[in-house]
Amino acid sequence: MVEKISFTINGQLRVMEVDPEMMLIDVIRDVLNLTGTKRGCDNATCGTCTVVINGKATKSCNTPISKIAGAEILTVEGLARGKELHPIQKSISESGAIQCGFCTPGIVMELYGLLENKPDASELEISNSLNKHLCRCTGYEPIKDGALMAQKLMQDRNKN
Amino acid sequence: MSYKYIGKSYNRPDAISKVTGKAQYLDDIRLPGMLHAAILRPEHAHARIISIDTSEAEKMPGVVKVVTGKGCDLHYGDNIKDLVPMAVDKVRYIGEPVAAVVADTTFNAQKAVEKIRVEYEPLPVYIDARDAMSEDAVLIHEENGNYWHLPTLNPQSGTNVANLYRLKKGLGKDGFSEAEVVVEGDFLYPLGSCSAIEPHGSIVWFKEDNTIEAWSSSICPFIIRQDLAYSYGIPESDVRVHIPDIGGCFGYKSDITVEQTIAYIASFVPGYPVKWVASRKEDFTSTLLGHGTRMIMKIGAKKDGKLVAMETKVLHSGGAYADTAVNVTIASTHNCTGPYEFDHCDLSGYTVYTNTPPVGAYRGYGHQEAQFATERLMDILARKLGMDSLELREMNYLCEGKINSLGEKMWRTNGDVKACAEKVRNLVFSKEIIHEDENFFYGRGFAALMKSPKGAPFSTKGCYMKMNIDGSISINMGGAEVGQGLRTVVQQIAGEALQIPPERIRVYNDIDTQYSPYEWQTIGSMFTTQGGRAIIRAADKLIMILKQTAAQVLKTDVDYLDYDGEYVFLKNDPSIRVAVPELSRGYITSDGITIGEVAQSVSDARLPRYSNPDQNGQGSLGVEYTFGAQAAEIRIEKKSGKIFVDHFASTFDVGQVINPMQIRGSVMGGVLMAIGATLYEKVEFDQDGKITNPHFFKYHLPTYKEAPQQTVDFIENPGTVGPFGARGIGEHPVIGPAPAILNAIYDAIGIDFFEIPVTPEIIKKALATKHQKEYA
Repeated sequence: MVEKISFTINGQLRVMEVDPEMMLIDVIRDVLNLTGTKRGCDNATCGTCTVVINGKATKSCNTPISKIAGAEILTVEGLARGKELHPIQKSISESGAIQCGFCTPGIVMELYGLLENKPDASELEISNSLNKHLCRCTGYEPIKDGALMAQKLMQDRNKN
Repeated sequence: MSYKYIGKSYNRPDAISKVTGKAQYLDDIRLPGMLHAAILRPEHAHARIISIDTSEAEKMPGVVKVVTGKGCDLHYGDNIKDLVPMAVDKVRYIGEPVAAVVADTTFNAQKAVEKIRVEYEPLPVYIDARDAMSEDAVLIHEENGNYWHLPTLNPQSGTNVANLYRLKKGLGKDGFSEAEVVVEGDFLYPLGSCSAIEPHGSIVWFKEDNTIEAWSSSICPFIIRQDLAYSYGIPESDVRVHIPDIGGCFGYKSDITVEQTIAYIASFVPGYPVKWVASRKEDFTSTLLGHGTRMIMKIGAKKDGKLVAMETKVLHSGGAYADTAVNVTIASTHNCTGPYEFDHCDLSGYTVYTNTPPVGAYRGYGHQEAQFATERLMDILARKLGMDSLELREMNYLCEGKINSLGEKMWRTNGDVKACAEKVRNLVFSKEIIHEDENFFYGRGFAALMKSPKGAPFSTKGCYMKMNIDGSISINMGGAEVGQGLRTVVQQIAGEALQIPPERIRVYNDIDTQYSPYEWQTIGSMFTTQGGRAIIRAADKLIMILKQTAAQVLKTDVDYLDYDGEYVFLKNDPSIRVAVPELSRGYITSDGITIGEVAQSVSDARLPRYSNPDQNGQGSLGVEYTFGAQAAEIRIEKKSGKIFVDHFASTFDVGQVINPMQIRGSVMGGVLMAIGATLYEKVEFDQDGKITNPHFFKYHLPTYKEAPQQTVDFIENPGTVGPFGARGIGEHPVIGPAPAILNAIYDAIGIDFFEIPVTPEIIKKALATKHQKEYA
């Protein structure tokens, strides 16, 4: 069984016929070949598949494709403008937050969902968001540093 | 010593590709005509296979081939060839491959696998080494002793003991006659999972021209190449292995894990690349687990605290195949003295076949399991002697001139454990003691540690270096980047050695056995030390080539010349010079005739004088030991029994810090991983050998809010082997947390624990029992 579905991903309108039971991660990775979104577990625990749907950070591994008809999706590939990185990408890449990098796309999208909506998010709100993501490499401190750097860059950007 | 590029925090060359989602991991690779495999796992952890019916699976949509182990006579392994790519007539653990389906999509392969019917005759299941060692235990491998194995191994035929390693130093057990005080304990570091966020995966392609091409999430491309060539009877040069970006390793992507199984499956569909990626569940059940180590340890000392003798029996539940477990056992055995000198040692390590997934490398293996016991017993001994535990340790540290269990003499250049301990003492124990309050108990605990090098007779690392026409540098090595940041380290070391800015040095991305220099495997915290040495040796050769060409241009002898990264010039008159880029492809003279060689070089480096163990189990691991000290400040919530690690301090004598930001990250990540093992992580089995928690919502990895504040500090007494005196650091941070935290628990509530993880339930129960006793 296939259904016609349309949505916008990284600013591009996509119309496709897919099995509505498919999870969003499978469409993103296997149909659209946007492999930046990662799979790290079987049941929505690790957070690395997080993308932004209609402005909200959401796990793509347990979101059925049928639920995203008409939605605007942003994946990690959609953040940079050409070679210009998004402030979150710039901060995370410079704060020591990257080791193996496998959890990175999910964390970047989580922070995007939080900080683009709420640039003045409290440290508790930031830690609540980051607590949804597993990282085995860093001990988390450099990720926190990156998040706070990003917040500052975004606040400065928003002032201008 | 001051350096231009060493000791500074350069950004990683892979940071941008990882933060933009462009880094390519195994599952991101798409190949033309690629098929997908799904693998059937057994319903029993130990059983004979009576029959397999694949007929229904073959009729399913998208199915290309159904594969079983019937008739497969392949055995593989680096240490013991006891592994099989797919179960033949028997299954030995719950995650073993029994059959597989190759189909057009993963989804179709998985649907078809569910249609395979297997009939089993169950056998007794052993999870713990002690049960598998009982006299009436059924043999998990009837063939034990008959498999090919390294000459240094000692399998016990007719039992489930896959290897027995014995080490005797001095008088051995008889040394206890000199002891005035004895302490002992039975410690367990249970089975755990490395749990990289990227699960294991492989692609294997048997080609029509009789070559094999493979991709794997592995740190051992050259071992995979050698192993596949051996199994399929083709020259090693006809097997090409690629390693893409790796989403974390922590040990279990070393050696050969899933590759032989995927190769076996792919061998049935020549012409098609076959991809398989583990689900998280399979990553637990069907790759390698860590630890499973019981340490039965006895320490004898004089009344003044001088250590004299140690007796240790390591009972290692090694899993269903012992190829990788033997190294874990052996390391747990000879490293169990920790950073102390004992005149007399009687150490024995039993690698025991059990019905769990095979045990293999886990970051730091052999050290954290062993020194968990040592560092707990040092605290217990100090109490018995009425001494300060740090002073007791200080009397016995393996410092210059002392001899370790293997008979190796420690040098001043092995680093200073006393200085590390002193730093940690100041960071944690100079603070005022916090007393119990309404809600919490408070405690602090210490652990010193020793990390031995990891070698093998051929454990070399190579470097290809070439200078481009503009004087920029390209470097290829075989070291696997698993997140540790080795490519940044390569840039910095090469920059320093060549006096060329790291920004002008491009380091390899993926590894390809066709183009990359040989490397044994990227393990044991050895890359900076050995790989760095290879870089310096290659740089020296490259500079010599430049000088030889320049000597012709400047019409002088090589030894009159000097090099500074930009020019080769006459030592006594630097104005007589030639620019380095002009020498890079030989020097083109005014009439077009080129003189000299292209500036490119190759080199390798191994550990000095590594040797196999002798009849007493002693030998040389190759000089490069590292020491450190760690301490925990904890809080135990009275109501819940929950342990909070508020502060964790680490100091290591690493010889020379190469990249401060990266080394700090390595330590913090390692500490948190070991806090996970200490407080949360244990792979649980039911009595039938099924894993009951093969998912992250049951097997709890430490999260953001559970991470302690960390202090990370280094001492830099340069070593003699590594580049600019640098030693390894990758595994060291995981060694101390378990004993430091358990020592802190004793400090807080006066209860000794001998097993991890220490969960809130265990604390509550222990507190209730203590309470009862106090009021009895």
